[in-house]
Amino acid sequence: MAAAKTKEQDAMRLPAELLYQQEIEALKKEDKGVVPPGWQMSPKAVLTYITGGKAGKLDITPKYIGNRRLVEMAIATLVTDRALLLIGEPGTAKSWLSENLTAAVSGNSGLVVQGTAGTSEEQVRYSWNYAMLLANGPTPEALVRSPIMRAMEGGSVARFEEISRCASEVQDALISILSEKTVSVPELGSETSARKGFSIIATANTRDRGVNEMSAALKRRFNIIVLPAPSDLETELSIVKKRVGEIAASYQLQAAPPADEALLKVVTIFRELRSGMTLDRKEKLKSPGGVISTAEAISLLTNSMALAASFGSGEMTDEDLAAGLQGAIVKDDDKDKLVWKEYLDNVMKKRGSEWRGLYQACREMNE
Amino acid sequence: MKAADVKVSVFGVRHLSPGGACHLLDYLDRIKPTAVLIEGPSDASGMIGDLVQPTTVPPVAVLAFTDEMPVRTALWPFAVYSPELQAMRWASKRGALCQLIDLPSGAALALQHLRRGDSEDRGGRRETDEAEPAEEAEPAANASPNAAAEPEGAEELEAGEVSRSIYERIAELAGEHDYETYWERHYEHNANPDAYRDSILAFSAQMRELGEERERSEQPEEHAYNYVREAYMRRQILKVIEAGHDPAKIVVVCGAYHAAVLENPLEGAMTDAEFEALPSRSSKLTLMPYSYYRLSSLSGYGAGNNAPHYYQMMWEAMESGNPDELPRLYLSTAARTLRASGTHRSTAEVIEAVRLAEGLASLHGGSAPTLLELRDAAQTLLGRGELSVVAEALVRVDVGTEIGSLAEGVSQTPLQDDLNRELKRLKLTKYKTAVAADLSLDLRENRRVSSQEAAYLDLNRSFLFHRLELLEIPFVRSRQAGPERAVWAEDWIVQWTPEAEIRVVESTLLGETIEIACAHRLREKLEACTSIAEASALIDTAVRCGMTAQMEDGRRVLQSLAADSRDTAQISAAAARLSGIVAYGDIRRADTAPLVPLLEQLFFRGCLYLSDAANCSDEAAYGMIAAMSDLNKIAQEHDDAVDTALWSRELSELSERDDRNPKLSGFACALLLERGEMSAEQCAAEVSRRLSPGIPSDLGAGWFEGLSMRNRYALLSRMSLWSQLNEYINSLDDDEFKRALVFLRRAFSSFSAHEKTMIAETMGELWGVNAEQAAEILTGDLKGEEDKMLDELNDFDFGDF
Repeated sequence: MAAAKTKEQDAMRLPAELLYQQEIEALKKEDKGVVPPGWQMSPKAVLTYITGGKAGKLDITPKYIGNRRLVEMAIATLVTDRALLLIGEPGTAKSWLSENLTAAVSGNSGLVVQGTAGTSEEQVRYSWNYAMLLANGPTPEALVRSPIMRAMEGGSVARFEEISRCASEVQDALISILSEKTVSVPELGSETSARKGFSIIATANTRDRGVNEMSAALKRRFNIIVLPAPSDLETELSIVKKRVGEIAASYQLQAAPPADEALLKVVTIFRELRSGMTLDRKEKLKSPGGVISTAEAISLLTNSMALAASFGSGEMTDEDLAAGLQGAIVKDDDKDKLVWKEYLDNVMKKRGSEWRGLYQACREMNE
Repeated sequence: MKAADVKVSVFGVRHLSPGGACHLLDYLDRIKPTAVLIEGPSDASGMIGDLVQPTTVPPVAVLAFTDEMPVRTALWPFAVYSPELQAMRWASKRGALCQLIDLPSGAALALQHLRRGDSEDRGGRRETDEAEPAEEAEPAANASPNAAAEPEGAEELEAGEVSRSIYERIAELAGEHDYETYWERHYEHNANPDAYRDSILAFSAQMRELGEERERSEQPEEHAYNYVREAYMRRQILKVIEAGHDPAKIVVVCGAYHAAVLENPLEGAMTDAEFEALPSRSSKLTLMPYSYYRLSSLSGYGAGNNAPHYYQMMWEAMESGNPDELPRLYLSTAARTLRASGTHRSTAEVIEAVRLAEGLASLHGGSAPTLLELRDAAQTLLGRGELSVVAEALVRVDVGTEIGSLAEGVSQTPLQDDLNRELKRLKLTKYKTAVAADLSLDLRENRRVSSQEAAYLDLNRSFLFHRLELLEIPFVRSRQAGPERAVWAEDWIVQWTPEAEIRVVESTLLGETIEIACAHRLREKLEACTSIAEASALIDTAVRCGMTAQMEDGRRVLQSLAADSRDTAQISAAAARLSGIVAYGDIRRADTAPLVPLLEQLFFRGCLYLSDAANCSDEAAYGMIAAMSDLNKIAQEHDDAVDTALWSRELSELSERDDRNPKLSGFACALLLERGEMSAEQCAAEVSRRLSPGIPSDLGAGWFEGLSMRNRYALLSRMSLWSQLNEYINSLDDDEFKRALVFLRRAFSSFSAHEKTMIAETMGELWGVNAEQAAEILTGDLKGEEDKMLDELNDFDFGDF
């Protein structure tokens, strides 16, 4: 038991239900709403868990900052035992939202199928322990259940990450699972029916190369919610600030958290490059080829913090930021480099003295 | 009468609220009043009878307009689910007295004008001195007559901001996304009897307590306006009591904001003296059909009814006793609309959408989904996450395209009646909808029908449409017909809007019928017109409108203007327009004979001043070329009427003159050739004269440019011309050549590839090279070296020209 505990503490990244264990417990304790079968708290409590609020005396931190109605729609979908599909560009908190939703609804965000081009139908339905299969023939003991099948048995919510990366045939294995809510195992002559509370949250990426179009039949079985990039500067700033703080704490970075000014600069640059327009809407810009999401801004800032901590004074400098920006914006080709250069000279250079330092550093880095 | 006795029942409503209408009817059934008094212009009480007629289909509006310039208008719209309209219907069915009790429209229009911040004249303000405060901030309702003609001033916006923040705060406290949703969930969906009325009364009292003082200091005009209105309403209520109605049997229906202060009409009722002092403008009232589009905030009418059709569905569901049907009805209608536009969505998805909407509602503790939740559900299920997929269908279901209609004979202005008569006569009534329709008119006589009326149906329609266009009534828009049918066909887009109705009413000032109004407008325009181009356009308009008498007026005006004009370009443009009218006027059955002398005269003047006008810059020459083409065309088409001999003489003169713009001389020469009035020898002589060595290149090449603008094929076949041109170019020195190049390039730029090839062949023959080689050189891409040479040419100094 003690060993398990240390192991938990050493984990690089804790699952949401452990990270926010305290909050979940408090919400469960204070919950006055009707708890749907198979859920561990009422839909309203789930909403509070995701969007923040209070449970008794405990402050619940917001997990998803942005459009509250999207979260309501996601929860209402799960209440009506429909499957939920979160679609969005990379870095719009799809997986983060799905993990936290499952953590709050079922208390277990670990029933995950991580979709890749190599995912096979067995990983969606079930496979066999071949040694036992050969020795004893098909028996229930030899059956290896997929996370989805386990979720059906337990009446909890399973996650299917990056569903659009799987081959179409594999995706389509979900069609009958979602409509029949059973998985039949003909070898055993049995079938597993889902208990109440079972659902699936899938996430899909719209922008990357190498994703497969989802069939209409499958789409029809999901309630689809498109997660947008943060709608305004303030929202994005608060998301970045919160996550950078959390990550820095969990990695024990020995650097001061970035000043608000640096955050503002990074988020401004990201928003402008993403929208192809300056914030005041006066100037048109070129956008780089890659995705420049909020998640990238977060990792850029933590990277810069790590740089500052490991090789610098511990105080994040313009040079640290510039290195991060260079890496995030200029991804693979020379065109991005030109786009970045153009942005530096046409926009950043004219922004006055507060930006001067960052401008110089970026320019040197981009040479 | 003691003050304590006088307490009437007040039912505060939102002006477009199905829930309110429903509760109000219940309330009326319970109280059984003998008098129902409604907030609305008191002088429109006489229209209640028309409003409740079964043949009157809402949405309709009462429109007040001043009957003198400048026209100001105010509107009181009613939808089928307006509590006021339902109360009127109730009263007429039960034989109860029904009256409107707000300020008469004349006073409302006058005060509305003052409220807009005319800082000098604030006649209405004196009454506020001893006034109790009030506020124009009914819960996003449309108590104030909304100006139809112009957007609300900045003041109102600010007022909106102040109150909006209060409403936003209310919504936030209730855990709702916006005030609309809060209202819908807490008022429209509230099925408890009396809950609606009681909570509005409480709401009204608290709202006034909160915002009154601030409004008094920050928006004194608004404040005073409300105060005056309330005082007047009290006065009207008292009158009804004096007429013998038991106060307990009087129900006052008013905007939520006034609800709290009208219960006791004795307090602060307007006195006779005060009433006399009210500013007022002479005004008239009429009923007009209204549209849901106009009612929705989409078209700038921010009265808090963003989804009229949705509320109508809500009302119908409530009326039939099944308010729970609404979500299913809404989402399946949306799905049907989607399918109709080619996006298939299954019934299963509609079912899931209903479930999702209900799930969302229960997250907020609501009994039924609100519009916002229905829209979210539609986006998630029917749009598969994308709003853009469902946006159009949702707008159709939310807003709808409904347009009201009035019983025949109900419209109150002669012009409205006349238009309706015309529409009926011309079988256009079915086009009076909010959906745009295309209408193609064939102006020619239809010989397959027996009656005269039917034979020229389309022509008469065309007359009406042009008249409406002249009156700027936005019922029809013309669309360009294809060139092959431009002479006898017209394409129109027909769409009825409340704006059109308002314009019709406003045009009443011009005359009692469309025709008289048009005549008046045309006369105004003719009097104001200062150029012959305008005058000839007006003649055209008169012919298109089928107004012969005005055509004659136009002719006179044009003639007198033309007498002073020496501008050939303008004269010929006017002449060309007249020529078109004369040539095709009979299609519109216009007697154009009176125009012919004028055409003659214009043509004559155009010819006379041609030579003078041709002494112009290269820039002006473009206009002159068009003018000369026009005149030439007239000479061909009306050779019986105009003096063609004069035209030929003028052309020859211009062609021979060396001191005129060479391009125009060249063009005159081309026209002469075309008309067959210059022989080949004459032409050859002229070419050699114009292109002889020693002639400055801008003159020579400019002339050639003019010449080459007409009858290309005749030129191309004339070998001698090309050899002369060849020799001429050869004779130029380098500097001159560069100058010539500019003109020649311009001249040849309008030649087609085929024509260039023909020139190439001719030149090939001249130079003794293979024709194909020459063509290749002339039409092929430029080589790098040649590019460079051209670049150098770009640096050439054009300052000399």
